[in-house]
Amino acid sequence: MEAYIRGTGIVSPQKTFNTHDFLTEPVEYTTNSLRCIEPVYTEFLNPILARRMGRIIKMGIAASSICLKDGGVPIPDAIITGTALGCHEDTEKFLLAIIDNEEQFLTPTSFMQSTHNTVSSQIALQLKCMNYNFTYVHKGFSFESALLDGMMMLEEAGIHNVLIGGHDEMTEKHFKITSRVGYWKEENVPTMEIINSKTEGSISGEGAGFFLLSNQKSETDYAKLLAVKMIYQPENQKDVQSEIIELLKEKNLTPEDIDCVMYGISGDVRFDDIYYNLQKAVFGNSTSVYFKHLSGEYQTVSSFAMWEAAMILKTQTIPVCILIGENKKKEIKNVLIYNTYMNTYHTVSLLSKC
Amino acid sequence: MMTELMDKLKGEIITQLNLEDLKKEDISDDSPLFGDGLGLDSIDALELIVLLEKNYGIKIANPADGKKIFQTIRTMAEYIEANKK
Repeated sequence: MEAYIRGTGIVSPQKTFNTHDFLTEPVEYTTNSLRCIEPVYTEFLNPILARRMGRIIKMGIAASSICLKDGGVPIPDAIITGTALGCHEDTEKFLLAIIDNEEQFLTPTSFMQSTHNTVSSQIALQLKCMNYNFTYVHKGFSFESALLDGMMMLEEAGIHNVLIGGHDEMTEKHFKITSRVGYWKEENVPTMEIINSKTEGSISGEGAGFFLLSNQKSETDYAKLLAVKMIYQPENQKDVQSEIIELLKEKNLTPEDIDCVMYGISGDVRFDDIYYNLQKAVFGNSTSVYFKHLSGEYQTVSSFAMWEAAMILKTQTIPVCILIGENKKKEIKNVLIYNTYMNTYHTVSLLSKC
Repeated sequence: MMTELMDKLKGEIITQLNLEDLKKEDISDDSPLFGDGLGLDSIDALELIVLLEKNYGIKIANPADGKKIFQTIRTMAEYIEANKK
């Protein structure tokens, strides 16, 4: 079960919506909550329709439009998204209106836009695409669930291309609530120095990342997606390491074959050792890369990592801003992404050069 | 009195329907709200029904009446004047 990444589109706290630019000017923040740099939406949306849409819907539509254009496919055979929080801003609006107006005078717009599958359905409405449309809401596994479904659809459903997306937004209220349970750093740390942080909590982020997957090879493909794995609440770090080695074995690979490993290092002292231990124990000879200092932490952040991985494999360059140490390899053939969300949801994706 | 009400209504409509690019001056008293005029649609009609009930205490019992009531800013204001509690 493999798939070719033919197109990408990503809206993130970096200037990523131009598909040709690969982090040439990384934006550094000194805050514990990163917001997306958004494109001009009138390029993607009729303003009359856009006025009703929340930020994450517009980000999702923009990212998916960029992706489809990049992949040269106007209408995909399926649209599958993953999100943990859905359209959180509109959900908050609707719930607050219920409370403020004592369950009276509820307006239709925030209700319609507040469901988790609004982004994938709005993309379908924009494209007039009546094909398979699904949204996975599985917290830290949401994006990988969408990927897995997409790969299975390509394998078994007799279709040729699938639009896959991962999207989540951060709102002021949600940030405050999750701050109270210790998700985020209390202090502001410059994002490029987050890797050296020794305090608890990470920096929050958000984004919308879309990929056009195909089961047919083309000359413009970014990379080949070989495998996706999800590990829920592993008993210990050795379990994760064994699972990763097992996954590599299934693909006739060894840790030595992995040229670059992308770690979800977030600057949270509670979790970062998980990555360093994997690096020491298994991938000492691979080039190490990290990504959350550019995107922030959120449940579908691995979509941002997958964009970086696809760009690394296509351009055969690793921007200095994401390198840990030095680039040990001249050619990057295989990239492994390993991420954990709060040490509960562990995900692994394996990509190779086309 | 009617002019003040129409001005107030324009502000409320801009806020309720997220017409961020419009100012009150851009909305004429007698231009159609739906179709060729302001370009509102059926979802906006639902929002306007809620607006009348919430801000003016007016319930539209017969949805068919909406077509006449929501024709223009002026027809809305006249309906509010005639029915407000």
